[in-house]
Amino acid sequence: MITLYDWELSANCYKVRLLMSILGLDHHAVPVDFYPGWEHKSAEFAKINPLGHIPVIDDDGYVLRDSHAILVYLAARYDKSGRWYPVDDPEVLGETASWLLFAEGTTNTASAARLYVNLGYDFDIDAVRAGAHRLFGVLDEHLWFREREGLDWVTSSPHPTIADLALFPDVALSEEGGVSREDYPALRRWTDRFRQIDGFTVMPGIFAPSRAAPPG
Amino acid sequence: MSGEAERRWHPVASQYDVVPRHVFWGRLLGRELAVWRADDGYVNVWENRCLHRGVRLSVGTNDGRELVCRYHGWRYASRTAGCTYIPAHPADAPARTICNRTFPALERYGLVWSGEEPDGEPPVLDALEPGGAFALRGVTVRAPAEMVVDALSRHRFSPTDLIGAAADGNGPGPGGPVTVTGQDRYHVVLRAESADGGSASTAVFFAQPADADRTVVRAVLAGRPAPDSRIPVWRHHNTALTQLRDAVEAEARRRPPPEPMVAAIEEVPIHLSEVPEPAPKGRRAGLRVQVARKWPVAEDVAGFELVSIAGQLPTFQPGAHIDVHLPNGLVRQYSLTNGPGELDRYRIGVKLEPDGGGGSRSLHENVRVGDVLAVSEPRNNFPLRRDAVRTVLVAGGIGITPLLAMAQALRHQGLDFELHVFARSEDHIAFAELIDGLGESVTRHIGLSPSETGAALESVLAGPGPHEHVYVCGPGPMLDAARRIAAAGGRTDDTVHFEYFANPTDIDDSTTFTVELARSALSLEVPAGATIMEVLRANGVEVSSSCETGACGTCRVAVLDGEPVHNDVYLNDTEKQQGGEMMVCVSRAGGDRLVLDI
Amino acid sequence: MTVMATAEAETQVCTDPVIRNQWHAVADLDEIRRGELRTLLLGEPLRCWIDSGGAARAAAGPDREIEVRTDYGYLWATLGKPSGGVFDVPETREHDRRTLNALTVGIEVSAPRAVENFLDMAHFPYVHAGVLGEEPHTEVAEYRVEERDGELWAFDCLFYQPRAAAASSQAVLAEYVYRVPHPYSAMLYKSSPTDASRMDAIGIFIHPLTATRIRAHLFISVLDDVSADREIRRFQQGVIAQDKPILENQHPKLLPLDPRAETPIRADRSAIVYRRWLSRLGVTYGVIPAAEGVRT
Repeated sequence: MITLYDWELSANCYKVRLLMSILGLDHHAVPVDFYPGWEHKSAEFAKINPLGHIPVIDDDGYVLRDSHAILVYLAARYDKSGRWYPVDDPEVLGETASWLLFAEGTTNTASAARLYVNLGYDFDIDAVRAGAHRLFGVLDEHLWFREREGLDWVTSSPHPTIADLALFPDVALSEEGGVSREDYPALRRWTDRFRQIDGFTVMPGIFAPSRAAPPG
Repeated sequence: MSGEAERRWHPVASQYDVVPRHVFWGRLLGRELAVWRADDGYVNVWENRCLHRGVRLSVGTNDGRELVCRYHGWRYASRTAGCTYIPAHPADAPARTICNRTFPALERYGLVWSGEEPDGEPPVLDALEPGGAFALRGVTVRAPAEMVVDALSRHRFSPTDLIGAAADGNGPGPGGPVTVTGQDRYHVVLRAESADGGSASTAVFFAQPADADRTVVRAVLAGRPAPDSRIPVWRHHNTALTQLRDAVEAEARRRPPPEPMVAAIEEVPIHLSEVPEPAPKGRRAGLRVQVARKWPVAEDVAGFELVSIAGQLPTFQPGAHIDVHLPNGLVRQYSLTNGPGELDRYRIGVKLEPDGGGGSRSLHENVRVGDVLAVSEPRNNFPLRRDAVRTVLVAGGIGITPLLAMAQALRHQGLDFELHVFARSEDHIAFAELIDGLGESVTRHIGLSPSETGAALESVLAGPGPHEHVYVCGPGPMLDAARRIAAAGGRTDDTVHFEYFANPTDIDDSTTFTVELARSALSLEVPAGATIMEVLRANGVEVSSSCETGACGTCRVAVLDGEPVHNDVYLNDTEKQQGGEMMVCVSRAGGDRLVLDI
Repeated sequence: MTVMATAEAETQVCTDPVIRNQWHAVADLDEIRRGELRTLLLGEPLRCWIDSGGAARAAAGPDREIEVRTDYGYLWATLGKPSGGVFDVPETREHDRRTLNALTVGIEVSAPRAVENFLDMAHFPYVHAGVLGEEPHTEVAEYRVEERDGELWAFDCLFYQPRAAAASSQAVLAEYVYRVPHPYSAMLYKSSPTDASRMDAIGIFIHPLTATRIRAHLFISVLDDVSADREIRRFQQGVIAQDKPILENQHPKLLPLDPRAETPIRADRSAIVYRRWLSRLGVTYGVIPAAEGVRT
């Protein structure tokens, strides 16, 4: 059983919960009182992650930190379909790595703005918001062309990858940080598509998909 | 607000934005819009604001027929934006007039057009063919529309050498001259020649004034490029327009920011600003409809599709009926069989009653396709609760009609239900193809004797689970049996709902009594042979009504004092015993006095 | 037709005497124990700190020291002259309760919109699905709203809940009592899953940064000796985090007090009374006041 050091309102922890839910992996969550308890900065938690951040997983003794690293590990180890992290397809794998790096950017901008508004973190708010808009503009344009090519996701694979998954929480929670998605219609459609993936699960702040009868 | 900008049509979205089950978030002249396409293709342009608590509808759900608000689950029908269901009050039919603000919507040139108060039609441009236009990617520019249009008049968009040529991976060459062949405040027409001057293409760039400092450029190319060259054309457009955007935004940042546009939010009508009262008065035939289709839907049952002559048909809820005013002067009630969001027509089923008063005969024999009928707005005295864990619908004969509307709503919403259809034969099942579409939720009970019907009802209504509701519509004897069986099985009468076709009660109208009207401070004598309703109307007191036979529930009035004698079949036994309400069309006083809350 | 303007200035300094003369919960005391807090109060800069003698202090504007109080684990500050102390929360004197700050969270909305959401039950099955409500159990039964000693109270509030608190594991018909003792703060009491004769108390104490930006402090005082602090917090944190995107999608952000601005239903009785009460108190900050002469 995988243990996840988790805070429910953390976008990065959500990335890990989301992939485990989609892959149907059971896990045991150890709640970390990130705020207002600051447990991730405690001496006790330093034994688990000296960098003092979450998420961290412990898979039967194998301990790994950093959400994107955990996504790579879980998908490579547990995704039987091989589509979420397609190690056998060099091109899609390269694109996945590229967009994972891009997702570091959305985490450092859009999610930083969210921490500023929600929890009062000290960031240059104008700079992080401007940075988020710049990245969202690039992503919206990219996704618009993907749609014209008949593709739904950020890579050229017909299936979503962990790159989509890593981007989704930063994008879907951006308005909590005052980064509106009004000007990014293709990005809004992509978040709708993402929420329809089998095994999708929400976190507080992200709206559930519709349960109406499907079209047709 | 009625400046030139407000009276024009503007593009507000592209065809790529209104995909199924999605709500596009748009903006025009400072007003936010929720733009969404229903499954039947209809595109809705609504103010992006639920009038209940102001929540953006763009965060709601497009379920294909209705838009559901994220905050409290209020449902709004495609086309009218009328509220069809308020989950906090599942037993109530919402006032038909709870309606979000809508704006005109039209699709042309691959764009969705709307406006605040637009005159006439969206622009028709000689350069563009309605069906042949090719929409390019919309780009938002953070600058006022006039700056954007000015820049567009110098824009170099030269896709001509790409069109028709096989995509060879090369970018566009320098191309030939680009000239402005048309322009006004909100658009520029550009004609681009190929490098060798042998061919030309035309594109129109529309500037959508989203806000004072924000403009969406929506471009359309005349004619559709060959499939292979589409992506290169899109890319060329995007690259060129992005360059234009960056230059215009740099210029706009050097200027003082304009005042934002302030879109006025309309007040809600006064009657909606307070907790809603049950609404419309009298027996009105406010709508004129035309018979668009008449066809046999079962043995002795004719189906009618009624379309509006002018304007949009009003919102209805499952279980609702309309009064149909017939050429021979009679008024009859027919349930709407429509599914949710089907507001392009009303569909009813009319059973021929040879021994009836002539209403159904008139419809069967005299009314033809193309005829115009007067009908009332839909009224719902048989509302469907959607807070049941399981809903059981029981239809006898033509009693299928309101239950068909309910079943379609429940199925569409993904709620658990069963529909039991009792009929003399398969040929007597009306709207069989719609029933087939409901799949495994349907059980057919064909050709049963009265005692077999009773036994079937016993099993259908056996063992009430928690949070179950039952709806029954059919002939009187079947309803009486169902009522008895449900009660014997332990179902409380607030969980079993009936709709009668007619009221079989023998009414003793020989009594004489006084009605006092608490709110109007009137005291009126009701003589033998007259109904309370007749006396009220003779004295100028308006009362809503529909069937006027004690079956439909429209004329329900609260009783403040005195004991009514209930002659209706609308109220259930508990309600009758409580005596808090009565139907003034048929019910009378037990003593010599009643005090009514009107 | 008269219309409601929707333009909203961002950092309006408050001139509303009713709101200036209130105590406002500006910080969780633990928060300022960790270091000085620089923030806003009613559009003015605010600095809060613990001095060398261990006392909590605050200064507004460029450097004007203002009156403060410490109650219920929070620092309360005022820009005006309150007529008394902070409203009483008698539960804090019951020593078998667990009292703590569940979360302090920034929300881009006015204080009254947040209070109104806190008083609302009808959204439970939609916004808090699986926790405080669950479709198809959506009905809001009739309830009573009363004004008592200058506070608003709502009684007999019943709602079907799949999981009403951190310590409950099964569906119940939960009973709520709501209390509004302050224009920008509200409490709710609900049957305790561990002791049926007593009620858990949850409060939303709002720190108004500006008219349209707040920090909401989630105060809890529960009868729960089983769950750890982090468990109790986690439950309420999830709830407020679900409300946040709804609140931030309300337009206008200011609460309109004109009855014709929005469409209430019977389930909104507490909101109707709250809006009327704000009108009667003469509150103008964080709201769009009804036009002169409009009956609210």
